[in-house]
Amino acid sequence: MNASSTLLNYVVFLPMAFALLLLLLPGNEKGQIRFATLLGMLVNLVTGIWAFAAFKPGGPEFQLEYRLSWLSDLGISYHLGVDGLAVALVLLTAVLGPLVVLSSWRFVEERVKEFHVCLLILQTAMMGALCSLDVMLFYIFFEAMLIPMYFLIGVFGSEERQKAALKFFLYTLVGSLLMLLALLWVFFLSGPEGTRSFDYAALYNSLMDANREVSLCMQNNAHCSNLSATAAALLQWGPWMFGAFALAFAIKVPMFPVHTWLPDAHVQAPVAGSMVLAGVLLKMGTFGFWRYAMPLFPAQAWAYQNVLVALSLIGIVYGALMCLAQKDIKKLIAYSSVSHMGFCMLGMLTFQAEGTMGAAYQMLNHGVSTGALFLLFGMLYERRHLRNMADYGGIAKAMPIFTVFFIIITFSSIAVPGTNGFVGEFLVLLGTFKSNLPMWAGILATTGVIFGAAYMLWVVQRVFFGPVTQQANASLKDINFREFVTALPLVLLVFFMGLRPQPILEVLSPSVERYVARVHQARPNPEAKTLSPQREKEALWMHVSALPPPQPLHVQQVDDSQPLLANNQPGERP
Amino acid sequence: MSAFPSLAFSSMLLPAMPASTVSPPSFVQTLLPAAILAVTAMLLMLTEAFSVSKSRSYQAILAAGASAVAGFLAFQNTQLPAGFILNDRGVADGFSSWITLIACLAAGMSSLLALGFFRQRNAERGEFYALLLFAAAGMSLLAVSNELITLFVNLELMSVATYALAAFWRRGNRSVESAFKYFILGAFASAILIYGVALLYGATGTTQLNLLHTALPNALKTTPWLSWPGLILVLTGLSFKIAAVPLHMWTPDVYEGAPTPVTALMGAGIKAAAFVALVRVVLHVGDSSAVLLHILSFLAAITMVVGNLMAIAQRNVKRMLAYSSIAHAGYILIGVAALFTTSHWGNDVGVLSVTKVATPTIETLRPAALQGILFYLLSYAITVVGAFGVLAAIEKREDDGAADAWDLNRLSGLATRRPGWALAMALFMFSMGGIPSTIGFLGKLYLFKVGISAGLIGLSVLGVLASAAGMYYYLRVIVYMYMKPSPETEIGLRHWSTEFVLAVSAVAVILLGLLPGPLLDWLSQAALFIPN
Repeated sequence: MNASSTLLNYVVFLPMAFALLLLLLPGNEKGQIRFATLLGMLVNLVTGIWAFAAFKPGGPEFQLEYRLSWLSDLGISYHLGVDGLAVALVLLTAVLGPLVVLSSWRFVEERVKEFHVCLLILQTAMMGALCSLDVMLFYIFFEAMLIPMYFLIGVFGSEERQKAALKFFLYTLVGSLLMLLALLWVFFLSGPEGTRSFDYAALYNSLMDANREVSLCMQNNAHCSNLSATAAALLQWGPWMFGAFALAFAIKVPMFPVHTWLPDAHVQAPVAGSMVLAGVLLKMGTFGFWRYAMPLFPAQAWAYQNVLVALSLIGIVYGALMCLAQKDIKKLIAYSSVSHMGFCMLGMLTFQAEGTMGAAYQMLNHGVSTGALFLLFGMLYERRHLRNMADYGGIAKAMPIFTVFFIIITFSSIAVPGTNGFVGEFLVLLGTFKSNLPMWAGILATTGVIFGAAYMLWVVQRVFFGPVTQQANASLKDINFREFVTALPLVLLVFFMGLRPQPILEVLSPSVERYVARVHQARPNPEAKTLSPQREKEALWMHVSALPPPQPLHVQQVDDSQPLLANNQPGERP
Repeated sequence: MSAFPSLAFSSMLLPAMPASTVSPPSFVQTLLPAAILAVTAMLLMLTEAFSVSKSRSYQAILAAGASAVAGFLAFQNTQLPAGFILNDRGVADGFSSWITLIACLAAGMSSLLALGFFRQRNAERGEFYALLLFAAAGMSLLAVSNELITLFVNLELMSVATYALAAFWRRGNRSVESAFKYFILGAFASAILIYGVALLYGATGTTQLNLLHTALPNALKTTPWLSWPGLILVLTGLSFKIAAVPLHMWTPDVYEGAPTPVTALMGAGIKAAAFVALVRVVLHVGDSSAVLLHILSFLAAITMVVGNLMAIAQRNVKRMLAYSSIAHAGYILIGVAALFTTSHWGNDVGVLSVTKVATPTIETLRPAALQGILFYLLSYAITVVGAFGVLAAIEKREDDGAADAWDLNRLSGLATRRPGWALAMALFMFSMGGIPSTIGFLGKLYLFKVGISAGLIGLSVLGVLASAAGMYYYLRVIVYMYMKPSPETEIGLRHWSTEFVLAVSAVAVILLGLLPGPLLDWLSQAALFIPN
């Protein structure tokens, strides 16, 4: 058994192992606890990089697969594997891990052990959700993320933390519980008794024919008369099921109008919580749309494309306008997340290669740049414990290095060419104009970019330049070595991803093509002037030649001779 | 054969016979758990008369040991084929054995809880454990009843013992008030039940459930004025026992007033036993009319919604858990309604309509529904025993009769004072709320899966929304434990038996939530019912 087939297990569960180790340490050994957590995150980073390196862009869709029998009576198995997008997000999560620990090195002084255990468990849950190839396993990790995050906000946050934590928890729970029901429904539709499974590939394959029938029927009503039972049910109830999936993920993204939990959660969360929330948790929403909602219900995705696009556009513009009205810097960054995640959704909803690629890239960008914004503001907050812009001013004189970092990240956030943000937003806008969406959608999205530049530069101007309004700000210490080391990787990533996007785009592109091809199985009207396949191929960044039309996914067989409880090396059993 | 190596362990426990020669359990095998419980109960009463020893801790341990032995025997019975016993008056199937197992679990755990609880109050008495075991014996016998009169008698055996248990700790007015309320209302419900049985007997000429099944459809046509009231009255009496809205009023008062170990028994054991009575009856009468399905669906809907909404308003943790137990009864009612949707596809009654999702047959749907009900009852029993265990642990002797004895404030800062208890309580709360990686999630998954496959879409949607609302008050407990400052006052004493119960339930909540493999196998292998 080679190492790469078990690699994802380590990616997912090593942080958990370190969390258990932490429980053994005495609670007052704060240094040891912090160091052990950092070590756990660094080991996780190594496994994450290893997984990213082991992923071959030209290979099969899901790689590093690992599957064991688990809860087979309920149709659930323990199945891990990553595609291009997932492995990129795994890398992002792994990179943010150690930085999160470093960022709270001095910030958290009470209940240090609980704090770090939460961080490590959260890391496991996030990695698990990204690596799951069994939909129910994904759901379990998706929900399990709530618990550590709830404690991070509720115990370690600022004054209104309990309310914010509760809001965050309940909001997400409502959506995901409805998704659970829809998932169960899909499960029962997927085949006769005894053949059903929650395995992603099996579920997708069993719905593929029915989805084709449904989309034919939705395009021209001629084919509606002799639908199979599954297709008929999908035609009748598909909008509800898609709606449940979309709601669950839209809350997580968050899309307008279910975004209201986000500003509260971000403002109240500690720096580490905000970083993880913005950096990774929000991506679970877009990732869920990408992996589950769209491919499982392509016909419904087309049918409701306009609604979702409208909500994304509202999110982009509304988020940006809200930013212009904020006094509280953390709240401003939170609303900027709403706006940026709107771009991700818009890109994915173009159902077209460039836009989708932009969305995928933007997911990573947002993790880097918004994570970095929260990190940097956290450093300022640690010094002054004030969140309002009016309380700062002229800080550039006192903290020059900090200012440089903040401005670089600002440039990334407003998509200045040469930074990572430019690549993502440019692709999204390009895709929007090239897609079947009306012209004004692209124009509206572009105004979002302009507003984005306005509010971020406004922040920079008011916080860093101008006269020093408060005496305390004049004597602030510039960032120390630890803080410098924490922020540096993200700043470097901004430039790396902005100037050399190829390595990442290469990993993402097969996933992008497959996503687009899957959604296009249910193109509502083939005669309409949408994209021709050639135009997709023309794109420069598509190294991988156009893939054949989507085939049924390869279902990895469970080897029943390898029981889960036997030992950790299934290969060794006689 | 499944892949789990733990099954080797299970087959070690089970009688090693080839499948073809295994016969249904004899009446001795079936009734042995109840007999052990009853005999131990009598023995415990005798110890009170003859024992001169001052320490009475052995009584609780004896009771727990008897429950363990009885539970083990019941577990062995779960894997045998189903059959009738005692001239068809009793039924020995997997369902009854599992319920006996849950009853024994509840009795054993609550007697261990009672050990520490009453020791701190210098109130250890043999009759307490005797009553506890009699109640458990009643539950076990109730589970095997196949005849309405037997069912009634055993229900009373269980209930009368519980009335006395609720009044056992006579300090303050609450305990007496709660017991009296429970007794009056319970007796009233029993009267309704027996009146209904009499009417059904008049209409069909039988009280035996499997005969009722064949006679009822005809009786509903020929003598509707007799059989319908009979049916409704029987269902009303049983709804009282499971505390379905609108017959739930007694629950919060009784749960609050009863000594906390007894409350744990009520939540874990009595609930399961009451459900077995309901399931037994509806399994046999449910097919006869779609109206019954709609009544049950409606009961499930309002029970879930009202239970959760009322729980949100409570500051008293015991009352909150009481309302939450009502809500949980509502979720289980989804499983009960799912038992016979196959006979009534497509009746349009708005939200509660039955939509044909897949094409389950009664052969696949019923075992799945019964498994779902059993798994949920088991998961709830484990969780609720733990939750009330934490409450019993933090209760102080001086609290008896105090107005704010179980106020949320009592839990403030528990995480800093007793981290272990707080962690366990947090686990129980997450499990009750149905958060993944706990056993409560699997229970909900099981039930909602059954609900969806049975076509109860509207009911399931209502159920998940209600449980999302329910998460609010479970989280509030965690908020108080982890996010509120700790007051200076000392909290309850530690006793090994209480901590043992907490540890066992907490480990079970997580472990069975992640690796329920053997449990699921045992459940799916059990011959849960005898087809009509």
